[in-house]
Amino acid sequence: MAKIWAVCFYTFRESLARKTFVTFFIISSITLALFLFALNVDIVDGALRGIAVFGNEPGRINFNLGEFVRTIETGIATALFTGGLFLSIFATASLVPNMLQKGHVDWLLSKPISRTNLLIGRFAGALAIVSFNVFYLILGTWLILSIKTGVWHVPFLISGVLIVVIFAVLYAFMVLLGILVQNSAVAIMGAYLVIFFSPWLYQRDRIYALLSERIYQILLDGLYYLTPRTFEFGEIVTRSVLGQPVMTWEPVWHSVLIGLFFFGLAIYFFHKKDF
Amino acid sequence: MIVTRDLSRQFNRGRVKALREVSITVNPGQIFGLLGPNGAGKTTFIKILLGILHASSGQATLFDYPVSSPSAREKVGYLPENHRFPEFLTGAAVLDFSARLSGMQNKQDRTDRAEKLLKCVNMWEWRSTKIKKYSKGMLQRLGLAQSMLHDPELIFLDEPTDGVDPIGRKEIRDLLLELKAQGKTIFLNSHLLSEVEMICDEVAILHKGKLLRQSTVRELTTSDQRFQIHADIKNEHLLERIRQSSNALQTANGFLEVVVSNVVQLNSIIDMLRSEQILIQSIQPYRQSLEDSFVQTIQGAGAADFNELLSNQTATASEAHNG
Repeated sequence: MAKIWAVCFYTFRESLARKTFVTFFIISSITLALFLFALNVDIVDGALRGIAVFGNEPGRINFNLGEFVRTIETGIATALFTGGLFLSIFATASLVPNMLQKGHVDWLLSKPISRTNLLIGRFAGALAIVSFNVFYLILGTWLILSIKTGVWHVPFLISGVLIVVIFAVLYAFMVLLGILVQNSAVAIMGAYLVIFFSPWLYQRDRIYALLSERIYQILLDGLYYLTPRTFEFGEIVTRSVLGQPVMTWEPVWHSVLIGLFFFGLAIYFFHKKDF
Repeated sequence: MIVTRDLSRQFNRGRVKALREVSITVNPGQIFGLLGPNGAGKTTFIKILLGILHASSGQATLFDYPVSSPSAREKVGYLPENHRFPEFLTGAAVLDFSARLSGMQNKQDRTDRAEKLLKCVNMWEWRSTKIKKYSKGMLQRLGLAQSMLHDPELIFLDEPTDGVDPIGRKEIRDLLLELKAQGKTIFLNSHLLSEVEMICDEVAILHKGKLLRQSTVRELTTSDQRFQIHADIKNEHLLERIRQSSNALQTANGFLEVVVSNVVQLNSIIDMLRSEQILIQSIQPYRQSLEDSFVQTIQGAGAADFNELLSNQTATASEAHNG
């Protein structure tokens, strides 16, 4: 366990040194500063009377305080789910290919640590980097909004957990690609493709109507069940934050299982690979 | 300590045979040199022992553990050739990370050990500098320090003096001899045969993936049948008699070089010289450099390969003719 932690810590340091972590952190801090200093909420007797952004009042407010808080939180969660996920993928894509560089991987593999633990440590390091930034923004926003409005809306925090989970699933796929091709650009493209095609695969019923051959249907079904369901994941995040009932958690469990499968494959190929 | 049995490794679906049934045993407490021309399979051999590369067939163990097990590497240090340490770390941070991966959990132990070794390899004043600013020689010194960090029993060094200046090389040699005196085993892969000759107890010669020879440096560089006699002989008749009594004879600058079958034959030559009142100043077994011995071994293998190829071709031609 101590060795996995060492690899995790070293991955965190690598990310700090490569400035990706710092860039992520600065973007999150600017967002928080915006909420802290630019947003003024006028509350009288627990009701929202006015909002001012940089001192300007956008107009009459005709929704209640809870709705206002949930709307802002949904906006943050959605932005994090799309922009934050893209940024996280970009920030962590090079971690595995860097580890596999000639002369570096030899050194790591000569240590008394199993290849599995080495990869788990690297994975955990990437996850720690993204979790830190996601929760920094989510917790920070939640605290600022809650203190300013007095509305403590806990479901918003769940969105942070869900965003980290879907990142972990996509990152497992990136680790697999990183092991197989040792190229961060391919890993980034792979993850972006999954995100891009997820809504298409979700609505594959509509695509079937356009295709005559049964084989395409089987192919699309196969792709749907073999890739993380990021689109449905995004909908679950939005519903959770808005406090709406989530119809099914199946896309979450399915994606997690797919992520585990990818990570298992990555470990298998890492064990088989010669350096 | 290191045992390999018929270790083989093929690349490109068997087209390239990097190692061919190599069986080597390395005993503890010695400096063992692995020699061979470029592409002989030296680095492949080391990488298999360290679990970096998988063998195609055969067995290899370190401390009786199969090399695939991380336990085999617990008492092992390694300095890779063309190593690439994380450039964003300082020298001290590289050592700390290396120590943690090697299982040193106590922070104070890691700090103390790193300080000792950085001083030992003259890198103490550079400890807080990021290694991207290090020269090749400094990186090599740091690499050497990390390989010794967790006080391993066995240290693999792949070209340890590469990029190091002559004074640094001498310091590294002295360090390796000191480690040997402490009972450590060192497995050295080096192109510099003069260095290997100076510090190694035993060597193995690899050529085209085949183990040509494994013996002590002394065995490789000295001969039981060839002696150098320092004596001033001008008597041609006497030289002719010695020539007839030995297997071969050469003279140069007051030295007589004789090849004999045994010590009895050598003594009869000495008797011959003494009976003619020739003053013998010294007699010593002929000693050739490790480089000469290495080249002879490789050339011998080359000739054997050539003969094998020729006989194969002759056999093929004969079969074709008969067919």
